[in-house]
Amino acid sequence: MPRLGMIIDLQKCVGCGACAIACKTENNTDLRHDGQTFNWADFQFSMEGEFPNVKYTALPVLCNHCTDAACVAVCPVKDKAMFKTEDGITMHNDERCIGCRRCQKACPYSVNNIDEGNAQYSVISFNSKKSVPHEFFENKEELIAGCTISGAGLAKISGSNPPHKTDYKHTDYDPVRRKGVIEKCIFCAHRVKNGEDPYCVVSCPSRARVVGDLDDPNSEISMLLKKYESFVLKPEAGTKPNVHYIRSFQKRS
Amino acid sequence: MKFGRRSFLKAGALTGAALTLSGPKLSALSRSGKDRNPLPSYAKGEWKPTSCQGCTTWCPAEVFVQNNRAVKVRGNRYSKQNDGYLCPKGHLSLQQLYDPDRIKVPMKRTNPKKGKGVDPKFVPITWDEALNTVADKMMEVRNAGEPEAFVVLRGRYSYMRDIIYDTLPKVFGSPNGISHSSICAEAEKFGSYFTEGYWDYRDYDLDNTKYLLIWGCDPLSSNRMIPSAIKRFGEVLDKATVTVVDPRFSTSAAKGHHWLPVKPGEDGALAVAIAHIILVNGLWHKEFVGDFKDGKNLFIPGQEVDETMFVEKETHGLVKWWNLELKDKTAKWAADKTLIEATVIKKTALEMGAAAPNVIVWLGPGAAMHVRGGYTAMAIHALNGLLGSSDNEGGPLATAKIPVEAFPNYDNYKDELAKKHSKMPKIDGRGTLEFPALAKGKSGGGVVLNNVADNLLVNKPYPVKVILGYMNNFNFSATGTDRWDKALETIPFIAHLTTHASEFSQYADIILPSTITKFEKLGFVKTKANRYATCTLIQPVVKPMWEAYMDETEVPWMLAEKLAERGYTKLNEYYINEFKDPETGKVPTNGKEFTEYYLKIATAPIWDGKKDVGGDKINGWKDFMQKGMWNSSPYKFKSRWGKYKTETHKFEFYSETLVKSLTEHAEKNKTTVDNVLEVAKYQARGEHAFIPHYEEPFRWGSFEEYPLSFIDFKSRLNREGRSANSPWYQEFRKVDIGNSAWDDHILVNPKDASKYGVNDGDTVKVTSVVASIQTKVKLFEGVRPGTVAKCYGQGHWAYGNVAALDYKNSVPRGGNNNQLMPSDYDRLSGSTARNGGFTGVKIEKV
Repeated sequence: MPRLGMIIDLQKCVGCGACAIACKTENNTDLRHDGQTFNWADFQFSMEGEFPNVKYTALPVLCNHCTDAACVAVCPVKDKAMFKTEDGITMHNDERCIGCRRCQKACPYSVNNIDEGNAQYSVISFNSKKSVPHEFFENKEELIAGCTISGAGLAKISGSNPPHKTDYKHTDYDPVRRKGVIEKCIFCAHRVKNGEDPYCVVSCPSRARVVGDLDDPNSEISMLLKKYESFVLKPEAGTKPNVHYIRSFQKRS
Repeated sequence: MKFGRRSFLKAGALTGAALTLSGPKLSALSRSGKDRNPLPSYAKGEWKPTSCQGCTTWCPAEVFVQNNRAVKVRGNRYSKQNDGYLCPKGHLSLQQLYDPDRIKVPMKRTNPKKGKGVDPKFVPITWDEALNTVADKMMEVRNAGEPEAFVVLRGRYSYMRDIIYDTLPKVFGSPNGISHSSICAEAEKFGSYFTEGYWDYRDYDLDNTKYLLIWGCDPLSSNRMIPSAIKRFGEVLDKATVTVVDPRFSTSAAKGHHWLPVKPGEDGALAVAIAHIILVNGLWHKEFVGDFKDGKNLFIPGQEVDETMFVEKETHGLVKWWNLELKDKTAKWAADKTLIEATVIKKTALEMGAAAPNVIVWLGPGAAMHVRGGYTAMAIHALNGLLGSSDNEGGPLATAKIPVEAFPNYDNYKDELAKKHSKMPKIDGRGTLEFPALAKGKSGGGVVLNNVADNLLVNKPYPVKVILGYMNNFNFSATGTDRWDKALETIPFIAHLTTHASEFSQYADIILPSTITKFEKLGFVKTKANRYATCTLIQPVVKPMWEAYMDETEVPWMLAEKLAERGYTKLNEYYINEFKDPETGKVPTNGKEFTEYYLKIATAPIWDGKKDVGGDKINGWKDFMQKGMWNSSPYKFKSRWGKYKTETHKFEFYSETLVKSLTEHAEKNKTTVDNVLEVAKYQARGEHAFIPHYEEPFRWGSFEEYPLSFIDFKSRLNREGRSANSPWYQEFRKVDIGNSAWDDHILVNPKDASKYGVNDGDTVKVTSVVASIQTKVKLFEGVRPGTVAKCYGQGHWAYGNVAALDYKNSVPRGGNNNQLMPSDYDRLSGSTARNGGFTGVKIEKV
């Protein structure tokens, strides 16, 4: 069985945000609302020290596709809505999800409300039962009456909400998620199954991201892990995350 | 185990239809017997080539189009600059195309009162009415015998610009095509021009460099080759030493080996001290610079050297430079000014010398766009001469030739009025005593955009009555914005070609909705990076969603028709007669055909196969459209050695080229070079005028009243001030070090914060000698006490519902740096000053 994982080379990463925005274009995630970021790819930034001896790290984050995924363990649905695929992806099925948010609570990398507390990101976001997906393009208000297009006008002309929706089919998830379900990075399974790298990987201008089978000792990702010291986020949570970081964002000692 | 696009690209057809992908699959992930689910798939789509114009990298790009919708973007697969990858700005652009606040129809103002915060009361009108109105206003000034009162103001452009910016005003009879260039750069070009005869941005050979000195910019965020720099930076960190000179802690500074937080405006002191140390230690590159006759180094601190003792090779005036400027510029002297320790300055210079000639001194606007910054630019760029890295492997390079044609000559289409009036002085004052603007060495050769606002206010050199602006937003993007607001109020008629109701639009009488470049426009741009020069096409990858026209070509075509209806036929005749399809000889019958034929004329040498132009082989027009771009052959190292376009054809440390330019400018204005320098605010007199040298920084506001020096920097998500209405821009502003999502901050060192009684998150009033803005405080250890930094991008009071906090009531989201900074210049280059600590500010809790 493969165990799909990712390494992010922090020496290559420049913290530019291309991965995070590209992910939004690929997976049609919503804009931030109701304490949910809908950023399947995001960042955790840290800065320490005193002028001029400061250190800064941009840490790109995404679902860690943990081997012992807490989100999967707590999913109460009988045929689990959150489950591990045979490739090792922590997959979410939109149809079976009942929107209980237990996964969001259990995930060490998620928070229920990003506006409360100090968390910089949340892997899992929730489409509340009241929310309208991509409300931005439902809004009929025209900035200048009769002259500017409005969000709803764009959705109508383009025939799509969002107008830039990347349209794809996958048996477990829709390109735009309905209300009342949680959502998170699914490792671009619709691409990976077709032999393409996840979109954050192919969009990273620094080529910092490498994906592959962590159980195959000859894969590029395994070789890199052998070559460099690495770390994972919150190892103490015991979920065995499969996103690893190698090298350092900054060269200064 | 990289599977995916690279292999796919090799195997895949150019227009790769539906994305059921070919190429090798990861066997472990292929469908197993147990997996009953059908393979996922994309809805039918196609990657179409175009170009990104979010910054001046001008990346060859591709857009994935499904059902006439642009859904995602990447770099052009053929690009040898970005190799198929874009920076975050490229991805962000989708929200510019699909922006709810885009203007879908021409509008006219119904409120005659103009002013900041005054509702123009725009109402929709037809294109016909809009163009009739503009043509009527143009004819009014023409019939009054004053066509020069018509002005085209240019913002972001493609190389189709010559139609609207040159042919339109000139054939009409006005000299006034006025570009934005000088608010964006120019001062740095001054540095390379008056040392090595190159008025342009440099390319850089990152792959082969051993020492990368980044000075006053952040190539990972901006500065014209972003994806190429991002790709290589990780490896450069292993192969070379990376040092960043910047008063602000940037991403490059965060990643590099050394950060030298120079005191704002003192960059010149650091540069001449590094030169001094290189010479004293005998580390200049002998192959390029030459050597003392007897091989003994006579560069001893404080001592003059006999010029005849040194034999130069590819350079000119080294000993003069030493005697006039460098001999006393020790590390200790520079340490007092720059606040960088002498030991650090010395170590930096020695390491650079040891790495010569594979050294890049990457000069950016932060070190050049100062009042008096032209000489700083020269001093910094001259280090590339001392180290023999100019045009050398692992150094700064020029561009390979891009074989495109100029637009057809229009001289025969000017009537007597046009001939006479199109030669009148332009309204920006270029070439006058105070504004040498020595672009390419010519007095008045460059634009002094920011001076236009001042001149408009006093009708100098004559009144302006009709303005046509396109993709410009000068009362937001130029410093001293309040002057622009006042000036625009006084103009009788303004038409604005724009995608959004920007700050400039608020003063317009007619608004013409234009297409979005990258997605809806046809044109081309020229660019370079990684030793390759490129011509890349901008193509309409999706059909416009409403009646929007291409600003640079279609609109002038339509205006020419309207002018012809009103009796002025020359422009219309010129467009019809001189822009025939080079393949079929067909005459253009509408703006779209006109656009296409001009594009074909301009780019013909690349695709028509008549002449071998090197680089990619393009087989005809269709092939060019499909590939979307052309790469040159790689730039040849040392190709300019002995052939620099300076007066001496050498790399000039004593600039004979500047002697000629300044003397010509002085003579033209019937005065002396010394007087020019005095009027233009420089300290140099005598021969110092012609060498790279240190000038003390000029500052608006006393340290007593305005104790903090302001540092302006650019957001890496800025699509040149046009992306702030995109929610993704707001969400990911946090990628700019020290900044936060959906907010605006001034970055303050904690020591200053406690000194001035402000705290993290406080709303503060920031005041300079010209204006106050409101923003929030962020405590930040990445600036020196005594300085504050603020990211440019926010502060829109118009543009849209996201960019502005409250569009209807003109309430900005945060503050605009350009409102705070006074209008001042590096007058020798015409560049607007933005950096060098020239703006003193104070902060007060609100």
